[in-house]
Formats: sequence, C-alpha cells, structure tokens
Amino acid sequence: MILSAQNICKAYQDSHRTITVLDGANLQVQAGELVSITGQSGCGKSTLLHILGLLDDSDSGTIEIGGVQVNSRHPDAPFIRNSKIGFVFQFHYLVEDLTAMENVALPLLIAGKKISTSMDEAKAILGKLGLQERITHFPNQLSGGEQQRVAFARALANKPSIVLADEPTGNLDPANSLELWKLMRQLNQDLGQTFVVVTHDRELAKLADKSYELVQGKLNPL
Amino acid sequence: MKSIERFYLLRYIKSPKRMLMRFSFVFMVLGIVISVSILSAGLNLFEGYERALKTVLLDSFAHIKIESGNGRFLNQEQLDRIYDTLGKRPEISALIPYIGINLMAIDSENTRGCIFNAYHTPEGEDLHYGKFVVEGRPQVNDGEVVIGHYLAEEFGLKVGDEISLLYPQLRRVTPLGVSSDTRRFKVVGLYRSGYYEFDRSLIIGTLTDARNILYTNDPFAAVEIKLDSKHVDKAKELASSYRYALGSDLIAYPPISGDLLRIVAMQKWLIFIVFSFLVLIAGINVISAVSTMILDRKNQIAILRTLGATAATVRKVINYQILLVCLIAIIIGQAVGALLSLFVVKQGFYRLKGDVYFIDKLEHHISFFNLVTVFVVASILVIICVWIPSRQINRLKIIDLIRNP
Ligand SMILES: Nc1ncnc2c1ncn2[C@@H]1O[C@H](COP(=O)(O)OP(=O)(O)OP(=O)(O)O)[C@@H](O)[C@H]1O
Ligand SMILES: [Mg+2]
Repeated sequence: MILSAQNICKAYQDSHRTITVLDGANLQVQAGELVSITGQSGCGKSTLLHILGLLDDSDSGTIEIGGVQVNSRHPDAPFIRNSKIGFVFQFHYLVEDLTAMENVALPLLIAGKKISTSMDEAKAILGKLGLQERITHFPNQLSGGEQQRVAFARALANKPSIVLADEPTGNLDPANSLELWKLMRQLNQDLGQTFVVVTHDRELAKLADKSYELVQGKLNPL
Repeated sequence: MKSIERFYLLRYIKSPKRMLMRFSFVFMVLGIVISVSILSAGLNLFEGYERALKTVLLDSFAHIKIESGNGRFLNQEQLDRIYDTLGKRPEISALIPYIGINLMAIDSENTRGCIFNAYHTPEGEDLHYGKFVVEGRPQVNDGEVVIGHYLAEEFGLKVGDEISLLYPQLRRVTPLGVSSDTRRFKVVGLYRSGYYEFDRSLIIGTLTDARNILYTNDPFAAVEIKLDSKHVDKAKELASSYRYALGSDLIAYPPISGDLLRIVAMQKWLIFIVFSFLVLIAGINVISAVSTMILDRKNQIAILRTLGATAATVRKVINYQILLVCLIAIIIGQAVGALLSLFVVKQGFYRLKGDVYFIDKLEHHISFFNLVTVFVVASILVIICVWIPSRQINRLKIIDLIRNP
C-alpha cells in the first residue's frame, strides 16, 4: 500500500454557515496503480488531493504514505513532498524565470543534489518525455501541452512513489489531453509509476485502472 | 549553502536584469548607495582632519617644554644640566633653547596679541622652523622678524615692510603703572605652518632683540624639545621621565594637549553613528523591497514549497538575492563616498574656519580600517532589514498560496 487515506473530513467555515467538503473519504492506492477521481465542480476534488499531497490539513482522518502516518504539519512533510510525492496542477505552475530544464531540476536541487547532476538528470527526464528540443526554453516559449509535460517531468524528477495530478488536462484540447493520458499510461507501464489523477472527464477517467467518484464528501468506486 | 540556494544565487548573478528593473529595487539600491556614500565621505573627511590636525600640531608645536619651576628664566647651571642630561638621548631630535614674549602688533587700525619667539640655533644647524617659511627667508638679524602669514595679511604687510610691536617697559614702572614702548621691525619672511593660531600670531626674531625687549641678560626662558617621529606619541611619558631625571627645580611637560586629539577622534565616531542612521533609513527601502519581492513571487514560493522546500530554505533563496544586490550597493556607495570626499577636498569654495577648527585646510583620508568598519556596519544594518521582513515567508501557508496565485 503506497497511499492510504482513512476517513478524511474537511469543512470550510463561511461567515454564517459551515460547508462540509469532505465527509469521511477513504482511498487506498497500491503500487503501480493508475487511479482516477471524478466529480462535479466544487465537490472537493482539489481539496482532497491537497490533503493527500500534504499541502493542506484535514479536520480529521489519517493519511499514511509508505506505511508512515503523516500530515502537512509533520516536520518531515517537506521531505516527503520532495522525495515521495510528485504534484501536477491544473495550471502547470512552472517558474516563469527558469528554463524547462531548470524547472525540472528544482526538486533535485531541493533534495540537495549538485547543480550539474541535477541539470543532467533533468535533461534525461525531459528527453524521455520527448522534450529534448525544449530544455532551454522558458515556459512562455512552450505550448500548453508542452508546459504540462514539463510539469510532469518535474513531478517525476525525484522518482516519487506517487504522482498526484489535479486536472492535468483541464486546460488542454481533447487531442493533447489524450496524448497526456497516454503518456501517464506509458510511464505507469514502463516505470511502474503510481498515479492519482483528478479529472472531470468521465471518458478519460475510464482509462484508469481504478476510478472513483467524489459525491457528497465520500469516494465511491465507479 | 544548500544546492537550491546556490542555484538561485548563481542564476541571479548570470541574469540580474529581471530583478534590477523593478521599481522598488531601484530605490533600494539608490538609498543604500547614497547613504553609504555620505557615511564614507563623512568618515574620510573626519579621518583626514584628524590626521592633518595631528601632523600640524606635532610639526609646529614643541613636543616637550622645559621651564624653570619658579617661573623665571633658566640660569646657566640649569641650562648645562639640561644639556648634560638630555643632550645625548636618542629619541630627542632637537633641543632648542628660546625666549618667548607676549606682545602686541599694532598699526593705525589693528592691534593683535602676538607671541614673539627667539630661538637659539647653533652655528651651521638648520633653523627648525625653516620649512614653514613660505616667502622671504627664515634667517633673522637684529631688527628683523619672520611673521605668520595671516598676521601679514591682516596688517597688509609684505616681505620688506615694517611692523610695529608694542610691549611693556618693565624698567620704567611709574606711579601710573607700566608704560609701554614701540619698536619697528623689518619683515623678512612669512611663516605658514597650517596651525591657524600660530599663522596669525607668531613672530620670530633674534635673541638679542628679545632680551632687549625684556631688559634682561639671562640666556633663555625655556627649552623646546622636538622628538623623533617614532616617539612623538610617547611625549607624556617621556616628559615625566625627564622631569624625574632633571631635578625638582625644572619642569618638563608636553604642551600639546592629548585631549584635543581625543575629542576630534570622538567627534569622528559621533559623526559615524549619526550618519549610520542614514543607512538605517535606507534600510526602510530594503524592507519594502523584500516585502514587494515576496508578494511578487508568491507563485514561485508556492512551487518551491510544493516541491518540498522548507520555509527557511525559501527564505534564504530570496534573502541571498537581495543581500547580494545590497552588498554590491554598499561597495558602490563606498566608492562614491571616496570620490565625494575627494571632490570636497579638491573644490575651492569651502574652506575650514581656522579659528574654529585650528587648521584651515580640508583633507580626506581613506583608511582600510574605516572601509572595513563602514562595510561591516552597513552590511549588518542591511542584513537586519532583509531578515526581519522575510520572516513573513514562514507564516505563508502553502494552501493559501496555491488557492490564490
Ligand atoms: N478557503 C476556502 N474557504 C471556503 N470555502 C472553500 C475554500 N477553499 C475551497 N472552498 C470550497 O470548497 C469546495 C471544494 O473546492 P475544490 O477546489 O476542492 O473543488 P473541486 O472539486 O476541485 O472543483 P473544480 O472541479 O472546480 O476544481 C468549493 O465549494 C469551494 O468553494
Ligand atoms: Mg479543483
């Protein structure tokens, strides 16, 4: 079991009412699985993924990553985010001042690897994702699909045990979206990379090994 | 330094344009450069003043004076004793017996209190004040004098003119008091030591004339001692050792008050402290530049945090970049400060008031110690101004950064 979330609850306090977003969500992810999560807009998919990625706190419930119980305030949380988790956002979230290669090298540098080693490894990963011609390009010189592939390369840089992707295809046209899903599938098969992917596209979600739908704060298998 | 911190710093050194263009950065750099340059210039000028004053004082004053304890002239026996005791001391470069008289220089409009000094210079030896005579000649014969150049200016005198000196006639004490006498002397040289008080009141004449003015046959009033340059700082200690060696009827003392130099040095550091506050004010710009940069880079901070950088690491990444700019600004400020003080010295329109500052010439001096002091103090102030506002990075929550990019 690579990731295990038990009974995750999260509510937001508005000025006059409480919005319950997650209400006892459970999720188990095995090594090598490609898991998809769908749900209506505003149902709490991002919230769940942020909690799983140790970027946000849950109100209750437990998360275990690699058998160790953690949360976002745990002193090791930065280390786990760096080494065990890869995160991809809907809006690619690349650093505008840095080239594709440098963006991909960031997790390696944060891990403490030498600058030259980090750059070499970043180059290799970008090559694997078919971006060898783009390593010195800045984000604004790349297409949306390319940017998102760079974001994937960055998420994969430290060989994390799990990649969490929040609507990675949300800003892409159908052709590019499919392309990205094929890429995930391929990485999943070739490297055994584990993915949890949030999407609101039911058709794409069916390409996953397991699919869940988030309804009323709970995850139901599809 | 961690890899990620080093990476960002190197990256920034390679292409600093993106950040230097920012408005807040321009003001930050400008503030530091201006305040540090004023601080440096102030210190350079004060250091120059301190050194110039010290040089002038040591050059134009006797380092140690020996007088008779009873206030009278030295008698021959005392004079011999001084020569016997001190004549061969290695630290003494000159023993100059002399007579000094307070009198007045007068003409139809001016009167000025003056000191009339007459020195004994052995045959063949150089006159010790010779180097200060800037016009005419230093040698005086009876009826001739060398006078301070400001005195000459004030009385409108040139070399070759005559000056009238008024002095009390000690031999003719009448029931109405002491009457006075006037004598005219020919000016043969002008004296300029840089020490304002001497330059406007010193008159150097012959011993014969001095003795005539005083109606005395006694040889000398006192002995001036010039010390070797290596020993001038020990004048006080040497004076007391001489007093001990010479016996109780003679007193030896250093006429230059060390307090004056100490006060000047203290003033220098006071100025330094006051001008340091300018750097602190420039630090306010640094604080706002840091805050702006954090706002500007929320996105990047969110990414770094998501990728596993700790708040402390993100803080250092940002701080190092700003500190680099600030340290360069400080160094530029020091260079500008050096040019500024040089300019102040070279320009002609502002001179020191000699009667206030003892010397009338502005000097600047760039000392290594002062350079280091300014750099260290300014750096510490800047580091504080960078470190304090960057604490807000610790308080930023990742989720807020992601939700509100
Ligand atoms: N800080 C907050 N304060 C109050 N409500 C919040 C806050 N953050 C999120 N919400 C609410 O929580 C709910 C879930 O948000 P979330 O972003 O997880 O939805 P989502 O499923 O990812 O939607 P989408 O598909 O549009 O991305 C939304 O109704 C949102 O308005
Ligand atoms: Mg969402």
